[in-house]
Amino acid sequence: MIETQTLLIIMLMATTTYLTRVLGYLALRQRALSPRMRAVMENVPGCVLISVIAPAFVSGRPANLLALGITLLAASRLPVLPTVMIGIASAGLLRHLLG
Amino acid sequence: MNSLPTSIALPVESNTQSEVIRGVRASIPVMLGFIPFALVLGAQASQKGFGLLAVPLMTGLNFGGGSEFAAVRLWTSPPHVLLIVAMSFLVNCRHILMGAALAPYLRHLPSRRALPALFFMCDESWAMALADARQHCADRISVPYYLGVSAGLYSTWVLCTTLGAALGPTIGDVEQYGFDMAFTAVFLVLLRGMWQGARASLPWLASLIVAALTYLLVPGAWYVAAGACTGLLVAIVRGELS
Repeated sequence: MIETQTLLIIMLMATTTYLTRVLGYLALRQRALSPRMRAVMENVPGCVLISVIAPAFVSGRPANLLALGITLLAASRLPVLPTVMIGIASAGLLRHLLG
Repeated sequence: MNSLPTSIALPVESNTQSEVIRGVRASIPVMLGFIPFALVLGAQASQKGFGLLAVPLMTGLNFGGGSEFAAVRLWTSPPHVLLIVAMSFLVNCRHILMGAALAPYLRHLPSRRALPALFFMCDESWAMALADARQHCADRISVPYYLGVSAGLYSTWVLCTTLGAALGPTIGDVEQYGFDMAFTAVFLVLLRGMWQGARASLPWLASLIVAALTYLLVPGAWYVAAGACTGLLVAIVRGELS
């Protein structure tokens, strides 16, 4: 069985997370955005994605930075699946070799 | 050379089933990145006393990896309710911005359908649906495609976190095998799809620098919010100047 307190926290977490998912939509759902505002919003995806992976760019391990460079190169010309493979392989190998 | 005029190259909801399948297919490489993290999360949670029921309950109802890792890391006995809930909000507040960016692409949906669909919005499903719409020069996302991606990612996440909890401590440190790079790789490919030249990417650069600095200097999960907001500010300022 699940403890009541665990259940309570899970429910509160789930509600909080769901709220973050719908708040932006609810705020803008019926509003017509000006072309200028739309142009600004076009930048949201890139800014969010790059912020999420930013820690990888300041890793203190040379192996990680090298692997990131290789993955970046792969991502610039290959589809997702080979890029993922190259990323995993280069990070695993370089960490093994360089520590 | 494909000679189809763009107006019919865009599959709308007429062929829902093939759109769902296209979404599930597109989610497969991303799943690869989800699996090791899900296993580790499940194993860590079981070490903190989560039962085999509590793990899928958390990952299935919350469905936000970052906040779940934070919750497990912060879990004490007894757990600190407010701290964990506040951290979930902080880790996930980028969703507010993401939902706002998605809203114009959901105008064709009534709220009673959009609100449940948004439950499945994660970085990857959101970015893939938006990138797909832009690729087709559409003013709406393909909802069946988005739901196909979501179905693949959601089921992988919930199943593999549960599996991780069952396997428990037999799972070692996945980082040494390089699996964590899968996440970065997926994100980099998504970014490539949005790339519109170095000049247009000034807000990204600002986001990257501020997020990285915040990550190094400020404890907690502030770096995503700080980076995303800075990039957006740069975009606004640039819009004012041009």
